[in-house]
Amino acid sequence: MRVEEVFCAALEIALDERKAYLDRICAGDVGLRAGVEKMLSKYFKAEVFFQEGNPGVDISQLADAPDFREQVDLMASTDEEVEKQIGPYKLLQKIGEGGCGVVYMAEQEKPVRRRVALKIIKLGMDTKNVIARFNAERQALALMDHPNIARVFDAGATETGRPYFVMELVRGTKITELCDANNYDMRQRLDLFIQICQAIQHAHQKGIIHRDIKPSNILVTMLDGVPVPKVIDFGIAKATGGERLTDLTVFTAYEQFVGTPAYMSPEQAEMSALDIDTRSDIYSLGVLLYELLTGKPPFDQQELLKSGLNEMRRTLREQEPHRPSTKLDGFRAEELTQMAVHRQIEPPKLKLLLKGDLDWIVMKALEKDRNRRYQTANGLGMDVQRYLNNEPVVARPPSRLYRFQKLVRRNKVVFAAIGAVSLALIAGLGASTWLFLREREARQEQVLLREEAERARSNEAKLRREAEAQTKITQAAILISRNKLAEADNLVGNVDLPVTQPSLEAADVFRKLADWNVTRGQWKRTADRLLKLVQANQIDKTDMSDAATRELVKVGPALVLIGDTVDYRHFIETTIARFSGTQNPVAAEQLIKAGTILPMNQSLIQSLEPLAKVAEKSFADEASSQSGKGSYYFAWRALALARFEYRWGNYPNAIMWGQKSLAYLDNRPTCIAMSHAVLGMAYNKLNQSAPARAELASARNMIKTRLPDGLDHGLPISDDQSGLWSDWIESCLLLREATAKIEGPSPSPK
Amino acid sequence: MSDVTLILQAAGRGDDRAMEDLLPLVYSELRKLAAARMRNESAGHTLQPTALVHEAWLRLVKDADRTWQNRAYFFNAAAEAMRRILIEHARRKAALKHGGKQERLNIEDLELAATTADEKILLVNEALKQLEKEHPERARIVVLKYFGGMTNQEVAETLGIGERTVYRHWVCAKVWLFDKLSPES
Repeated sequence: MRVEEVFCAALEIALDERKAYLDRICAGDVGLRAGVEKMLSKYFKAEVFFQEGNPGVDISQLADAPDFREQVDLMASTDEEVEKQIGPYKLLQKIGEGGCGVVYMAEQEKPVRRRVALKIIKLGMDTKNVIARFNAERQALALMDHPNIARVFDAGATETGRPYFVMELVRGTKITELCDANNYDMRQRLDLFIQICQAIQHAHQKGIIHRDIKPSNILVTMLDGVPVPKVIDFGIAKATGGERLTDLTVFTAYEQFVGTPAYMSPEQAEMSALDIDTRSDIYSLGVLLYELLTGKPPFDQQELLKSGLNEMRRTLREQEPHRPSTKLDGFRAEELTQMAVHRQIEPPKLKLLLKGDLDWIVMKALEKDRNRRYQTANGLGMDVQRYLNNEPVVARPPSRLYRFQKLVRRNKVVFAAIGAVSLALIAGLGASTWLFLREREARQEQVLLREEAERARSNEAKLRREAEAQTKITQAAILISRNKLAEADNLVGNVDLPVTQPSLEAADVFRKLADWNVTRGQWKRTADRLLKLVQANQIDKTDMSDAATRELVKVGPALVLIGDTVDYRHFIETTIARFSGTQNPVAAEQLIKAGTILPMNQSLIQSLEPLAKVAEKSFADEASSQSGKGSYYFAWRALALARFEYRWGNYPNAIMWGQKSLAYLDNRPTCIAMSHAVLGMAYNKLNQSAPARAELASARNMIKTRLPDGLDHGLPISDDQSGLWSDWIESCLLLREATAKIEGPSPSPK
Repeated sequence: MSDVTLILQAAGRGDDRAMEDLLPLVYSELRKLAAARMRNESAGHTLQPTALVHEAWLRLVKDADRTWQNRAYFFNAAAEAMRRILIEHARRKAALKHGGKQERLNIEDLELAATTADEKILLVNEALKQLEKEHPERARIVVLKYFGGMTNQEVAETLGIGERTVYRHWVCAKVWLFDKLSPES
């Protein structure tokens, strides 16, 4: 409505200029002027009537208002049963009490009737923050589905303002107690441990770090006589963890906030909660394994607490723990016997059993530098499994002797036979031969060792950077799983490309981040993430399928768009070289498409020519098949050939293919736009100005109607029905080129 | 999808537990809205912002056919609930003032300048019914702004329109409503 438009505009004009404005804008339109004047005259009174911005209630009063949650609780439940009832949960009996809280068995009525475990946190924490933190994690927690993980259902606040958590009720015994009570031998203990590693791995894959792995959080239930471990309390350390820092000054609360120092990784002891990753859990798993083997954690809980906070941190950060086998030396005789009895083994044999593989596995998990630990829980579990299978473990760089020992142990009978034969042979050999062989072997060994040492030195820096890149990518994957794309994108921004090892995880991270940047119109970042995706995706370099090219060809348009033609040419050459000799027409078509975005040089023409032949040949097959299915595929292929012929300078052929492409009925908008642009440029070269301009207009019209905002605001990641984003970029690039060639260079390039 | 959206959808499906989960997430915003709303009232208003939020919340919880696809729907519903509470409250008080008899206010009988906050609410609400017929989008904005206490930016986000558009509609709506309420019209 015109009156209102003018009225709103007039409001923004200062009073003394308003009249002049109205004179000009209403110029002779008396009705309009009167309408606007009437609105203006009412406006001030209306404003007063609605009293905008008139301060009545002081907001600071609100801040002092008692917590709303409690009020609602009070309003909702006026009966006396408050103590026995927390939210929808009816408390049945207390089943445990620990440093940080009390655990009840409770009954839930709705939406399902079930027994749950309800843990009420003891410390005075900021309930709202705890719940908010828990809620932030809730989505990820819901994704965890593993038979060895107890589910966490809910969190809330009691009427006294303490946070509580509701979990799957696990009727089990603390793992260390169960193992000792049943005198489980090493194999049984290690079997349980492997299951725990797998459960933690599952959680890590869903982006959840436990942060508080310790025996009391691993309960074992007996199912038909088979022990099944369950990891409990997922998400709770994170939700309550942030509070620990604020309580740091309160020394009386010291023992509680520290939690279980014996199980804390050095980086957790630093209390820089920001820098905790999945490898903290690996450390705690190492401590758990240590205790399962020796009956004690590497550092004594009481001594750590007694030593004070700073000393405790220093110990965890710097002091190398005893190996499990040497730990036994410090045991008193009856202690050792007791421990050995629980493991069904004689004390001297126990030490021998631990020495070697088990020592190394535990020590690798307990490395102070997390980059030197097992990088995944699965890695740790698999190494334990290897030990049980008598296979070489990765925990120590295997020497020849070590590998040989393993081989012998695995194939005892065979080696016994071979040994007998060898003995007979060796006895028969002359002593000089033996000495000669020995010396030569020693010399060779020396050379090998020296080479290895040198390689190791030069590799060290590279390995370190690789590990850093890998860490960043893992963190990025976790961030992405929580939908924190901006953070993930910044994190991988400076990952060094050459040190990114091919991995599916990295490829997935870069793929998602490339897509994300596409939607935001961040083309430089898009190109960078795509190049890294290509790098990370080179797992199977022999994959010649069109699925492999499909991802590759997106890189070309992105690089050209940001003006990086040097990288573009290099990329196209290496890509075409990799796929040279492919007989797959779809792959050929895509490579031609990617190679013809800019004018081609001679060598590129030569390398594309065989691909063009492959693409051309497929049209003969199309004619013979007559299926009619997927005809738009052929429109794309004809377009690729039109572009190739145009770049080669074969303009009549380019026009022929371009028209053929447009003749397919269910064509895609991007394909149509590009066909018109190529046709326009070809006609232009043949000095046919009128058709050239007509084709250019069609191309422009097609792009402008579908893409009114251009590329600056990003493109949707859509299916190819509405056009792949990379095709839209190519369309825009070709349109730009065609416009410049047909209409001359534009005075102000956009 | 954000946590809030997920929980809102669960709550919309009638999941009461989700309703509880929702509270800590939206409470501070609701309280802010109520504070903004009540800031416009005279100091003698008998309804406190906290009470307004609590009332609104209890209504939202009880609402059987709640369907909130996202935050926008939820805050829409919250504004609507606050409107109903303010009106009922005003009606009760007006009824007491007029000898405990519940009677409709007659716009013509009131001198606008002398209207109390409660009467104003009822008057605006009456006029709003007419605006709803003529210009439903504007009426929506009035509910969110006047009864819901939202800022222009919040309304813009809730309705998915531009902030400038909200401003223009709100200014025009105020003049229109005031015009309807003025005795001379």
